[in-house]
Amino acid sequence: MSLLSVKNLRVSFDTEAGLVEAVRGVSFDLGRERLGIVGESGSGKTMTGRAVLRLIRPPGRIEADSLLFDGQDLMTASEREMRALRGPRIAMVMQDPKYSLNPVMKVGAQLVEGLRQRDRMSKMDAHDKAIAALEAVQIRDPERVMEAYPHELSGGMGQRVMIAMMLIPNPDLLIADEPTSALDVTVQAEVLAILDNLVKTRGMGLIFISHDLRLVARFCDRVLVMYKGRVVEELAAKDLMQAKHPYTQGLLNCLPRIGGPRQPLPGLDRSADWAV
Amino acid sequence: MALIEIDNLSVTFLSKGHRVNAVKDVSLSVAAQESFGLVGESGSGKSTILRAICGLAPISGGAIRIGGQVLDRKAGKAFAVRVQMVFQDPYASLHPRHTIDRTLSEPLAIHGIGDTDARVMRALDDVGLPRNFRFRFPHQLSGGQRQRVAIARALMLEPEILLLDEPTSALDASVQAETLNLLNRLRAERGLTFLMVSHDLAVIDHMCDRVLVMQHGAAVEELTRDQLAGAQMKTDYARSLFAASADRMLAG
Repeated sequence: MSLLSVKNLRVSFDTEAGLVEAVRGVSFDLGRERLGIVGESGSGKTMTGRAVLRLIRPPGRIEADSLLFDGQDLMTASEREMRALRGPRIAMVMQDPKYSLNPVMKVGAQLVEGLRQRDRMSKMDAHDKAIAALEAVQIRDPERVMEAYPHELSGGMGQRVMIAMMLIPNPDLLIADEPTSALDVTVQAEVLAILDNLVKTRGMGLIFISHDLRLVARFCDRVLVMYKGRVVEELAAKDLMQAKHPYTQGLLNCLPRIGGPRQPLPGLDRSADWAV
Repeated sequence: MALIEIDNLSVTFLSKGHRVNAVKDVSLSVAAQESFGLVGESGSGKSTILRAICGLAPISGGAIRIGGQVLDRKAGKAFAVRVQMVFQDPYASLHPRHTIDRTLSEPLAIHGIGDTDARVMRALDDVGLPRNFRFRFPHQLSGGQRQRVAIARALMLEPEILLLDEPTSALDASVQAETLNLLNRLRAERGLTFLMVSHDLAVIDHMCDRVLVMQHGAAVEELTRDQLAGAQMKTDYARSLFAASADRMLAG
């Protein structure tokens, strides 16, 4: 049985300007594998990730024919049941460490908070576990990072702290929203290797949200391509170069390539039938 | 003679009492109408070089010459007519409470250039923005449209040199393509000289004739476009950067 099953997910917002549909009927199944969701900004990929955790505030509305995690119906779960799922079972790495970490709390305090509160751990144990988590994401001097405030960390460090924090409770499903977009190519490779290792050794399911089609193709098993709240194409990552949908092809072709010709890059044609 | 010449430039900041060498002994020269790239990871000092040219970073050693003249810190207006910069984040580099019209007409007012109305309209046309965007505010535009405004602003005084600090890294892939095409078209039409910073080797390869790889504030290796495409780099660092961008290669 699949870990997560989403059928006809819709996320909409009632705004002054009328109803905005951020996600319009997305369906997918996820096993213990790496699923990539790609699309441009505004395509609804982040909203899809947040909807799985029911982290969408009113006036936003989540509707779905079914939203099952490990056999449990997330649509009918109480707030209390959802809280028990968020963190220990399903974790999400948010997009920007600058905005997602508490700026006035030391990193260490943020890391042990959950352990102390939820797992009722002693100070010592929680501290040791936090250090181990930082080491697991290849942070070289964890003691210093524990005592630092988020603004004292570089983007790459902050991103790794976020990943460490989400992995402490050992979740079954990790939703990573642009976990590497703020990072340099070389650091990016390291973070991906860490995630990859975790999927393999812990048997975790991973939803990897990104705007970078080629990165996703290299890293994931399967790719969903989203445009304007819909999945326009689903394909195995290795078949990406043979993508059929004009939007996927357009996204691939508009990237410059090393050694490519110097002519203008092809733009995306947004006037075709699929774009409306 | 090269248009931009940088000899053994060093930039040192004081941070919490200790010195940070952001740029160490970097030399480069860019010919007129050439497009030169600086590439490296964050903290490698590539943006600091651009900022030093503009007087936004303290120069602690070496010299920068534009057209043979050593930069004079007091030559504010004369410098602005020759050199302009486009910043990385279009969400942060435009004044949030100024309309596009005000942003674009300010350089004209400062330099006492008349004909504001027609020049602003032409600037919008040049970067492919509809004329009715003129009285909008930055928050009413998308990221790509804002970056177009930032490019239009930089070109208002018709400079020879454009310093580009990661102009497309905050943009979606398709918008990046449009912005790069725009920059290339403007360079061809106006004979501009580009000094461009990016962490994306593929973008640099598409835009630049020569590229300088930097690490920890120092120059590592200079490559021509053919050397880059042919993977003919001599240093390990340039090679590792190239390997990490392998999926940006031409398919096949």
